[in-house]
Amino acid sequence: MKGFTLWFTGLSGSGKSTLAHKIEEILLERGVKVEVLDGDVVRQNLSKGLGYSKEDRDTNIRRIGWVCHLLSRNDVVAIASAISPYKEIREENRRLIGRFVEVYCKAGIEALKQRDPKGLYEKALKGEIQNFTGVNDPYEPPDNPEIICETDKESIEESVEKIIRTLELMGYIPAGDLSEDYSPEEEQKIKKRLKDLGYI
Amino acid sequence: MIFRFKRKNPKIFVLGLDGVPYSLVKKFSEDGSWRFFERLMKNGALQQMEVTLPEVSAVSWPSFMTGKNPGEHGIYGFTEFKENSYELHYNNFNDLRCSTFWDILAERKKQCIIINQPGTYPAKAVPGILVSGFVAVELAKAVFPLRYLAPLRRMNYQIDIDTHRCRTDHNRMFRELEDTLQVRQKALEFFWEEIDWDYLEIVKTGTDRLQHYLFDAVIDEYHPMHLDCIAYYIKIERFIKNCWERFYKGQSQDQEGENFYLLSDHGFCLIKREVYLNAWLRKNGYLEFEKEPPEEISELKKTSKAFCLDPSRIYLHRKDRFPEGIFNDAQALTLRNELKEKLLELEFEGEKVLRAVYFPEEIYSGAELKNAPDLILVSKPGFDLKGSPAKKDIFTNTDLKGMHTFDDAFFWAKERNLEKAKITELARIFLEKIS
Repeated sequence: MKGFTLWFTGLSGSGKSTLAHKIEEILLERGVKVEVLDGDVVRQNLSKGLGYSKEDRDTNIRRIGWVCHLLSRNDVVAIASAISPYKEIREENRRLIGRFVEVYCKAGIEALKQRDPKGLYEKALKGEIQNFTGVNDPYEPPDNPEIICETDKESIEESVEKIIRTLELMGYIPAGDLSEDYSPEEEQKIKKRLKDLGYI
Repeated sequence: MIFRFKRKNPKIFVLGLDGVPYSLVKKFSEDGSWRFFERLMKNGALQQMEVTLPEVSAVSWPSFMTGKNPGEHGIYGFTEFKENSYELHYNNFNDLRCSTFWDILAERKKQCIIINQPGTYPAKAVPGILVSGFVAVELAKAVFPLRYLAPLRRMNYQIDIDTHRCRTDHNRMFRELEDTLQVRQKALEFFWEEIDWDYLEIVKTGTDRLQHYLFDAVIDEYHPMHLDCIAYYIKIERFIKNCWERFYKGQSQDQEGENFYLLSDHGFCLIKREVYLNAWLRKNGYLEFEKEPPEEISELKKTSKAFCLDPSRIYLHRKDRFPEGIFNDAQALTLRNELKEKLLELEFEGEKVLRAVYFPEEIYSGAELKNAPDLILVSKPGFDLKGSPAKKDIFTNTDLKGMHTFDDAFFWAKERNLEKAKITELARIFLEKIS
């Protein structure tokens, strides 16, 4: 199986890391080589010392992109989970990596404020934290991501299914239990509809 | 000032109207029901089109999207016998045995938007966007890429009407037809600007539903629901007009008609009698069942000689095909000749029922010919061939009013120099345009 990069982008608390690790588990179970690059973790090693200015943020995302590129070309699935607020840098990574699947974790600010376990949104809104993406620092949503997970509207399971199914449909991962036949429930529904129309 | 750059290749727009017969389109454009279509009649050619047999959506649309006959694409009906079994398999998009023309467009780095195309469920990756049509069940499995699932859900996208309820509640049917028409329009508007497409196709299947349940009302102006039917077709024509105006927006009038195509996947006519072929096989000693009444064809006695799958496919109980088959190749050849001869004599009230009985090699070719039925029947208009195992009477009627025909589908194109249109020819036309 050829490597590729699954890139999660979205505001803090939008579910990027949760989904990234769920996908990691599923792929590992299927015998796929996976590596997760979590933005918070990367800032403690690869990008240690970088701050939150636009320049530093861009450098951080470029570094993650570079590692993903190396992993992908060696047939590893690289999963990046980082706010990655700037469109231009994400697109730069897409061009560098080639086999690049962007997942936009979309959630409204109200939902994020409610989730906010560390109270960061509250502090940022009070002006106690500067350069907080989505509050006093910009976030540029992707124009055409392969997948959008509306994490304030759909369950984790729904988002995970959407991502896995897209990767299967794109031929990036082998189909798991995706049967070529209909499920018994689907078959019953189809049979009923065909009978209603007089086809069977 | 905005500069419009001429594209190297034209965009192609295709609108499918499931089951709408050539004769009906011609009538509507002549009697004033379809006023806009009069313009299309002047600017292009409305042609009667033949489709592949059997003339059902499950077969016709694959023939359209691959440009191949069932002997190549491998779909002979909604159902198929599982390999070496009497159990039925319900065909799906994964059963298609050859590439669609979208696959070829993908190799040319072209983009497609396909909305409500029957025979494309579950959705697969396409170069662009796909929303599967009939017999799609779950929207989540009918959309590619999946990022479009949420917007489709938000617009309350419906794949089909509730065929069960609408069969008996015709007022409900008209409401649901209206709803699906509107949501198809919304989806079209949503996707139109979403990608820089080269090929956009949308199929309306409500026409087929209406015609199954109320074809008598469609053609009989004294029927109490005739005006409701006409009102629906007028909305369909408005849909065509909207697509046309959107497609040619900002273009000169002499461009109108270029690269815009309309088609149906089969024709329709009024049912005179439903004809149950398994009942005929039973009455003539070719078929017996283990229990009465049978629910599935798999309940046949293993001494049976032949049996039918919907709508008009007869299979011989061959050793090389079924686990307890009784005929070798030579015996099967004798039996199929015997059946053909007898079936061609089948009459209802002094009128012959069938106009042709074909052997597969006469109408199909390709690697999937080996899986074709042994006999394929074509009825005279009005005799609706059925494969249900449960009916004991050969001739009967239900509440269904309309049936499919294979040689009265329609195709409209600006080009007038096309030879007799065939559904398998259309893929070639589009591929030549988008080189």
